[in-house]
Amino acid sequence: MSAPVEVVLSADSAGQLFNCAVFDPHSGSEFLSYRGGNTSSRSLTVLNGEYILGAQLGKNFINVWEIQRKDQLQQKIVCPGIVTCLCASPDGLYVLAGIAEAIYLWEMSTGNLLAILSRHYQDVSCIRFTDDSSHFVSGGKDNLALIWNLSSVVQLDSSRTPEPCHILSRHSLPITDIHCGLMGPQARVATASLDQTVKVWEVSSGEMLLSVLFDVGIMSVTFDPCEYFLFCGGSDGNIFQVSLCSTSLSRDKTFQTDSDGNQVFKGHRNLVTCLSVSMDGTLLLSGSNDETVRMWDVQSKQCIWSINHKGHVTNAVIIPAPANMFLADSHPAVPLPRFSRHLNPSEQGDGTGSGGMCLRLGASTQEREGTYLEKADELYSLMCAVTDKSVFGDGENTKVRVSELEEEVKTLKKINKDLYEFSTQLLTKPN
Amino acid sequence: MKTKKQKRQGDFQKIQLKVGKKKPKADNATNVNFRSKAIHLPEQLKHADSGPTTHRQLDIKDLLSKLHHINSNIKQGALVGLRELLSAQPTLIELHASAVLSEVAALFTDKDGSVRAAAVRLLRFIAQCISAERVAPFFPLLSAHLTCAMTHISEAIQEDALRVLDVLLEHYPGLLSQRHTVLLTNFLELISQKRKAGTGQDKSGKGGFALTISTNRSVTAQQWRLTVLLRLGSFLQAVVEERPLEEGVTSMIGLGMWAGEKGSVTSVDVSWEEHVFGKGRIQVFENSGAVPTPHSTYRLRPDSKAVAGMNKELCSAETVQGFAGTLVPLMLEIWVEAAGGDRVQTDSGHLLSAEAMALMFQILTILQLLRRLTPQRDQQDILDAWFRNSYLTDFKHHFMKNFPYGLLEVARHRKKADGKRIRQQQVATGTVAGGNVEPLALNVTLCQVMVTLSLRGQDHVEAEDADWLGTIRVFIRETLSNGGKLSSKHLAALLEVVWRMIVTQRSRVVTDDLLQAVYVQYQQRNLAVSVRTLLLHFFSQLYIQEHQNHPHIARSRILARWLASLPVQLVQLCSRNPQLSAQLLETIHPAAARGNKDLLQSLQKNACSIYDPQEGSVVVLPVESQKRLVQILHFLPTFPAELLACLSQVCNTGRVSASLATMLIRTIHLRSPLSGWSSSSQDVPVKDVDYLSFFFTTLTGFSSEMLQALQDTDEDGLMPSSTLSPLSVFTTTLEQFLHHWDVVEEVCHCLDTLGSRAQCFDVIQNAIIKNLCGLVVVPDCVCAAILRCVPRLLDVNFLPSDTLLHFLSDCCLSMLSLLLQLEQSARKRDAVWEACFAAMSTVPRLLRLVLQSLHVGDLCEEELPVLAQILSLLLQHTQLRNHMMANASLLQHIIQDLTHFYGGETREQWLTDLLYCYSVTLSGHRANMGMRDIY
Repeated sequence: MSAPVEVVLSADSAGQLFNCAVFDPHSGSEFLSYRGGNTSSRSLTVLNGEYILGAQLGKNFINVWEIQRKDQLQQKIVCPGIVTCLCASPDGLYVLAGIAEAIYLWEMSTGNLLAILSRHYQDVSCIRFTDDSSHFVSGGKDNLALIWNLSSVVQLDSSRTPEPCHILSRHSLPITDIHCGLMGPQARVATASLDQTVKVWEVSSGEMLLSVLFDVGIMSVTFDPCEYFLFCGGSDGNIFQVSLCSTSLSRDKTFQTDSDGNQVFKGHRNLVTCLSVSMDGTLLLSGSNDETVRMWDVQSKQCIWSINHKGHVTNAVIIPAPANMFLADSHPAVPLPRFSRHLNPSEQGDGTGSGGMCLRLGASTQEREGTYLEKADELYSLMCAVTDKSVFGDGENTKVRVSELEEEVKTLKKINKDLYEFSTQLLTKPN
Repeated sequence: MKTKKQKRQGDFQKIQLKVGKKKPKADNATNVNFRSKAIHLPEQLKHADSGPTTHRQLDIKDLLSKLHHINSNIKQGALVGLRELLSAQPTLIELHASAVLSEVAALFTDKDGSVRAAAVRLLRFIAQCISAERVAPFFPLLSAHLTCAMTHISEAIQEDALRVLDVLLEHYPGLLSQRHTVLLTNFLELISQKRKAGTGQDKSGKGGFALTISTNRSVTAQQWRLTVLLRLGSFLQAVVEERPLEEGVTSMIGLGMWAGEKGSVTSVDVSWEEHVFGKGRIQVFENSGAVPTPHSTYRLRPDSKAVAGMNKELCSAETVQGFAGTLVPLMLEIWVEAAGGDRVQTDSGHLLSAEAMALMFQILTILQLLRRLTPQRDQQDILDAWFRNSYLTDFKHHFMKNFPYGLLEVARHRKKADGKRIRQQQVATGTVAGGNVEPLALNVTLCQVMVTLSLRGQDHVEAEDADWLGTIRVFIRETLSNGGKLSSKHLAALLEVVWRMIVTQRSRVVTDDLLQAVYVQYQQRNLAVSVRTLLLHFFSQLYIQEHQNHPHIARSRILARWLASLPVQLVQLCSRNPQLSAQLLETIHPAAARGNKDLLQSLQKNACSIYDPQEGSVVVLPVESQKRLVQILHFLPTFPAELLACLSQVCNTGRVSASLATMLIRTIHLRSPLSGWSSSSQDVPVKDVDYLSFFFTTLTGFSSEMLQALQDTDEDGLMPSSTLSPLSVFTTTLEQFLHHWDVVEEVCHCLDTLGSRAQCFDVIQNAIIKNLCGLVVVPDCVCAAILRCVPRLLDVNFLPSDTLLHFLSDCCLSMLSLLLQLEQSARKRDAVWEACFAAMSTVPRLLRLVLQSLHVGDLCEEELPVLAQILSLLLQHTQLRNHMMANASLLQHIIQDLTHFYGGETREQWLTDLLYCYSVTLSGHRANMGMRDIY
């Protein structure tokens, strides 16, 4: 059997059978499981395709497994407080953890604690990176979602405390889940909240693009990769699919099911706490507090399989299968460093520094690079060049096309003439 | 000879004049007893049928030509005539606008005063009739004549030019403000003259102008300057207001500093269908065009330099600096003169005449406007810094020397208490040209001007500014806290000063000091609504906006006290002013979301009153506020049992909508650790016992006291108990029933998702047995709720107790017979059907018990049809068919009894129906046997 492209990673709050396990997205059969402890919600993350990190529920440490050594807990990272959410950057360089009101940022290469961001007033409930690791979004129980620029956060400028680039403050109840779309800084972010709305924002400007109101509080949210649909897990166990290509222009909508894309997946009996869509957008994974993980076919809205867990499902996600996962004799490229618990390593007093050097961008040394619009322009002209060549470049094609168009003009002229005669007749008719 | 002599004597006889006798009239005296009359020819004899005319038959051409007449009376008459003609025929204005305006404008500089006055009157009239865009083409002409008049050598013409300016400012501020380059210098020249290059060597630093003093004006130099400055002030105001609004600075007075700095984004609607095949490109702006990235090279909004040609010079700090550089020294000189120079002894230097006060007020207003001329915030900062560098010492020396100022007539120390009297006096005596100005207004404006000069938190500057800022602080504190009532305009200005001082000074002492004063003002009773709103807005903005950036504000005790007082105010306000309540909630909600300790404590303390089911805010306020109140519940630290009791009643009394009630129930469900959502387990907001009792109370919808009271009443809505309806059912109104039904739906859903179903059901079963089973009178909504929740919550493996099942069967039977006997709405009937059948199909024993309890023998004649209908309904239901089959013998027995006891001769319809249903249901192999047995 060849190694699967994508795998399902899920964890529950009981941790009786396993802490987290890897399943086949198509059949639901279990590949691997990792034992020891359990994982709190929104805190299971894969670091660099080599480690799995999961925060222990209600305790102040993070469990770490090497991804190929399934049964064995590799190490525990002790944190300053109970970790409420955890996220590793897609490029594997940084790890973010929400600990009470603060966000802690570690650098993976050295284990240094780079920043403690305390802009939230209450517990942080969710942190997500954009796919290029340039920005991250944090949501808290204080109704706020903050968009941060990673490079401005790690800047070595002690005089200035890092500020978020945008504060999204339109939710009126705690934020439960965040999903970042693709496209790096040009991505769109969806935030779900207990105030029964899901809002879609633009990362670059912080503007709200869409707000959808539901009948129930929303516990989880995700896009498909093309952003055709928004999937929202309700607190009543329904999963709502919202079409994002509808033609209505209003920013505030109320959800109602209809034929063009707004549909409901029914099956769960309790809060739907996690949602994830596969890379091709055909499969939807959902985990719920009714202790099941279900896989749905997006097109037909049928449940393909479901797996029973022993506790509330805290994490369920479809990820591209890491290369090391099924190679039992592989090793991580970099050993996991010790995580520092203090901001400034020199205060710690233990002189056993790793000898590594911490690289951070200075405030003014960032080079100006082309804006995303310029890049998009370039791409567009490239695409145009291709179509121009294939459609209009060939002499033979052009002739055929011209004759077709002339034919069409003729018909149109005739129709126009008929219409004119008809209307003159109608108008000049004596009555 | 004698006769000759006599004759001669007779000729020259001397007439003796005596005192008291009349002098005889001389013979040659002229008789003046006639009267004469002049012959007037004011009207032309011709009958002009060419167009409308005045009452003197003059048409517009005649009038216009007369304007060139040499005689001023004729010119004036023509102007009056024009006015008459145009007011009678407004359409003429449009036709002849160009001619009329140019002729009238030419008369601005007429040497006769009455002609000028008439011209101004005519202009005022015309301006009322023509809109700004129609005048725009003639405006260069108008403004040229205006400039000419303003710079005229004759002072009377200069004075009248200001009247013209008034008219234009009133009606065409936008057009006038485009002419600022010329007009501003004109203003300067009105009150000053250019120094000769040679003479000004010692004072050259103060700009090239010196104040003029002319002795032959009709008014004093001071009054003249006042009138000029008044116009300058209103002109600058027009310039500021007519500018298209830029982000960051709004032109709202007072609240300008509090406005958010975020630019608004206007969305461009693109319909993709149109662009599918189009080759045309869509212009896309990065970041929604709102805030450019630091890397971005372009801005969506053009730079200020390119704003449509107008204002292009007054936007940047440099040009304003240039203008201010000449104006400010002049104004300082005027100030000094108004303040009386050095001749006034120092102890009464703060007392001013009304005129001087008006003059000073104007000066300060103009200073304020100068600062607001620059639209961009960074430019404003540059300008502030420039003002500070150039003029701080002068301002400090002149403005602050005698601050605060008072009015001279009241020869007492300035006190707020007699502010009213001062105003009354001023109204009585106020004849000064510039209107009268309260000393308070002057002082407040002075504070505003001075405070803008203070810089943001730099330690060395702070010490330097401490002296004069201290004076201002003392003034503000006294003004706010001595119990006087302030108008909202003054208060807004004062609050702006307070805001600025708090933000710039960054000291906790100052913050607390000032906020304390504002808080004293806030605590006054009987404030006008606008004032109250203003204060509320001030505090809430202070909390929400500046909280994060300024720890000294966040730690302020006053702010904490204010926050803590909000829930109390909400309770006291009740339903008297919903807008104010909504505003309170707008602050309470974010503060609660941020977990502000003071607020949450206070909220916790007052929760029971806020969420009181009878007169709490949650029931009396409008829907939007109710929603907020329910959302605030999310952040409440704990839910004691009393609060839950209140909330349960709130859900059921029907004064909040069903959707809001479900939201409330969900909130409590989520806050409970039983729901499994909140992960932090260190403190438990809702205890499990309280949680379950809340849900049970909400499920029944009636408290135990109400149920108890119901047992003893005999109301009309009561159905007496009988064999067919073992419980006597109290019918509730349809509205209440449906509301409760929605609530029950949500309660069932929440209970359904609890972890252990068996235990949960056990608890509910015990609660029902303990609280409801003994009752004789039961409301129908309670019956329906019980019937609804039991099948939904019942675990397959759990065996319900007999007591419960008996009670349920009683409920079921009572409800069924109730439905058949009373006219009910379709929705209610459907709901009850659904509940009964769901209960009976999930719990087969229940059906059996229901059938067992049907003793046909005990029924009277009238009840037989009802029973038959119930049975046929049960038989018709497909889901129940299997269970009915299981009880076939029992059923057969009942039907036999029924036919037996029914003694009627003819076979009634109901019996036929029942037998038909029976046969259809039991069709199959048992059908024949069954039929045979019956007959």
